[in-house]
Amino acid sequence: MSQIQERGSTHVYKVNRISKEEIDSMAELCVYEQPPFCNAACPLKLDTRAFLKAAAAGDFKKALQLYEKIAPFPLILSRGCEAPCEAKCRLCELGDGVAIRAVEAAVARFGQQSKLGGIFRTKKKKNVAILGSGLFPLFLAGELEKKAYPITVFCEQEDLAAFLRCEAGFLDEEAFALELKRLKGKDIQFVFSCEFTRGFLEEKRGAFDVLCASESVAKRLFPEAAPVPELMYYEEEKLVSGPARGVMEAAFGAKKAALTVDRLAQNLDPRNTRGQEGPVGSRLYTDLSEAKELRRISGSGADYTPEEAAAEAGRCIQCHCEECLKSCAYLQHYKKHPGLLAREIYNNTQIIMGDHQLNKPMNACSLCGQCSVVCPNGFDMAHVCHLARQNMVSTDKMPLAPHEFALLDMLFSNNEAFLCRPQPGFERCRYVFFPGCQAAAIAPDTVRAAYEDLCARLEGGVALLLGCCGAIGDWAGRCEMEQQTREFLDRELAKLGDPIVIAGCPSCRKELSTHEGLRITGIWDVLLEIGLPAGGHGLDRPAALHDSCGARGEKQTQAAIRAIAAQLGCELVDTPYSGDRAPCCGYGGLAAYANREVAAEMTEKCLERSDAPYISYCMACRDRFARQGRESRHILELVYGTDAGDPPDISEKRKNRLALKYALQRELWGEEAMEKKLDYPLAFTPEARQMMDERMILTEDVIAVIEDFRESGEAIRDEDGLLVARRRVGNATFWVKFACEGEGFLIHRAWSHRMKVVKREG
Amino acid sequence: MAAEKNYYTIDPQGKLSCVKCGVPLIKGKAKFMYLDNGFPVELPVCPVCGFVYVPEELALGKVASVERALEDK
Ligand code: SF4
Ligand code: SF4
Ligand code: SF4
Ligand SMILES: [Zn+2]
Repeated sequence: MSQIQERGSTHVYKVNRISKEEIDSMAELCVYEQPPFCNAACPLKLDTRAFLKAAAAGDFKKALQLYEKIAPFPLILSRGCEAPCEAKCRLCELGDGVAIRAVEAAVARFGQQSKLGGIFRTKKKKNVAILGSGLFPLFLAGELEKKAYPITVFCEQEDLAAFLRCEAGFLDEEAFALELKRLKGKDIQFVFSCEFTRGFLEEKRGAFDVLCASESVAKRLFPEAAPVPELMYYEEEKLVSGPARGVMEAAFGAKKAALTVDRLAQNLDPRNTRGQEGPVGSRLYTDLSEAKELRRISGSGADYTPEEAAAEAGRCIQCHCEECLKSCAYLQHYKKHPGLLAREIYNNTQIIMGDHQLNKPMNACSLCGQCSVVCPNGFDMAHVCHLARQNMVSTDKMPLAPHEFALLDMLFSNNEAFLCRPQPGFERCRYVFFPGCQAAAIAPDTVRAAYEDLCARLEGGVALLLGCCGAIGDWAGRCEMEQQTREFLDRELAKLGDPIVIAGCPSCRKELSTHEGLRITGIWDVLLEIGLPAGGHGLDRPAALHDSCGARGEKQTQAAIRAIAAQLGCELVDTPYSGDRAPCCGYGGLAAYANREVAAEMTEKCLERSDAPYISYCMACRDRFARQGRESRHILELVYGTDAGDPPDISEKRKNRLALKYALQRELWGEEAMEKKLDYPLAFTPEARQMMDERMILTEDVIAVIEDFRESGEAIRDEDGLLVARRRVGNATFWVKFACEGEGFLIHRAWSHRMKVVKREG
Repeated sequence: MAAEKNYYTIDPQGKLSCVKCGVPLIKGKAKFMYLDNGFPVELPVCPVCGFVYVPEELALGKVASVERALEDK
């Protein structure tokens, strides 16, 4: 019995296989968190997407809340803004960009103002004075009021209406009245009819912590001085002010100035920690095919009605990138975009003590590489998860449990079930057929038919190699096991005279291509070259062709399979995500072993593309689709007119491999096959069979327990009279509940656990 | 010495017996071990030969969940 060493729990830090820099530069590729273009262009950073979404849904209250975050006086800003966002709207490329400003104006007018008055908030200790009038002082007062500073505005006007009139003369009466009401509602002190002189300023300097002024007041008082425009600050004069012409510049200036006030009030350098200010670029990718309405809603009047504004907002396609999430069931399951997931998975590999909460996601990716094709930036999550697994193994932190069954299966394929023989009558061969472990496990008759056909029709001898290519070791991140398999196979191939490998499976082909100096082709290419054998035929109804993830990037393979299907008379239906964009069936990357739930979702995702029967060219795909109840055939079954029938359970998959090997040994090579036979009857209830398949318990595990019982007589008798025996096999203890029936046994139940249990003294 | 904490207790209540020794199992001291961690428990044990029984529910329930937790440590 092959065994794999379980890891210890005391972690020895060995080889780190990934670096933070590498992960960071990979994560950078993902543009999911990049801002949409409209928002990137907005100097005030309105969350345009959320704003338009709320407006489109008719939720003007929420929309206004979002808008008020950047606009203390929404009616003024929305009527005067130059709207740089609109020019950058992606819809401009197809038709009209979204009329964002007009929607803002409607929201400002019709949106219900949130009640949040400033009066009852605890005020900051430091106070601020603003001298002058105009848009900049108004907006600055609004920004500082939001930040809860006690503010006093000193102006030349004699009352509030006059003050507001001079700033926003462009408002109509209704808008003016609304904004005046808003201004009155704010917690801002006003001192009217002031006359600004240097003396006035110096007097205020004594009473206030920070002084601000409109540009014209600052210029009048300090005609020689010049502000630092990024800070809106006269450094020498210690006066917050700067250029602010036009509505947008005033609003942006007020934002910068408010930050400067904030820093000054805390006695901090206003230059530091300001973050991103102003318009930025964006690398966001957007699938523009989602755009439906390309023409701007033309309003009935000068301004939009609420309905018109909602309709216009509804034209926004909510720019965001989720190409990978749309197509990958794994990413959908974890609801995370790869940039984030990659960082989290990397962090997981660096934990020395504590829970590795990302083990599951790391092991659930099928390593299929679909993301690398559908992502506009080629983000390859497979590479991240693969490296992370290798890293966990090399630092001795990888649990064995998720992959042990598959790894033992690989060892089984290359030990008990292994067969490597030259074609009868040859010592060295020009070719060797390598069907792959899953083909022998799932469709042994098809493997045999293919081998006999190749032997009959190819010159120079065709050897047969039944075994595993090593992909399982690779997928598990176990480089050493993969390397051992590679060396083992190379030795066997050398014995055959280093023949050209004819792979029966695209994943084997991919894995074997990593062998140095190995020449490899696919059986599909060979069949196209020598012609299909007689007797094959396609399905009698249209079918969907599922491309194997092992053939991603292999245009020739994909084309060859289609050509074979056409020659067989198959009618293929079009499916989304075919060719290089095909999703994985759930077997890849050992997802099916490490995370059945996610793997099942992957299978579903494959099948939801079509209701038709599925034709595939990887036996694992064939198997998983059939298990899901879909009519599913491997292309070689159609070529050879075989039918592998219902999908085998895990024990049958082993039995099939052994049976094929023994039959071929006897019938082709005239060898005596050493088939093990039980010398007592062993039967299973259907319930036991199903239970074993679900719990990954093999018939041979049950046999091991029964043999142990036959030898030792150790068992317990249960309430219901059944016997229960157990045996430790490798890293697990198997329990079997059974009835003795004469010489034989009827198995009722089986379970296992990995913990060891021992009696304790005392 | 402080009394050792038992993580889990099952009393067979005379319902199970050891086939080899022909005696009922009793509640006895046992220990689960996994990845260098040990957990004292009380399980059905044969008082003669020391056979420790892990019932199906325990194996698939508590034991499986502790295994998962330890594997990800
Ligand atoms: S497709 Fe996915 S990985 Fe690529 S940029 Fe978009 S969200 Fe990121
Ligand atoms: S479609 Fe919407 S999210 Fe995209 S750029 Fe235009 S307004 Fe912004
Ligand atoms: S399952 Fe495939 S498509 Fe999804 S993240 Fe993994 S490699 Fe990418
Ligand atoms: Zn006993």
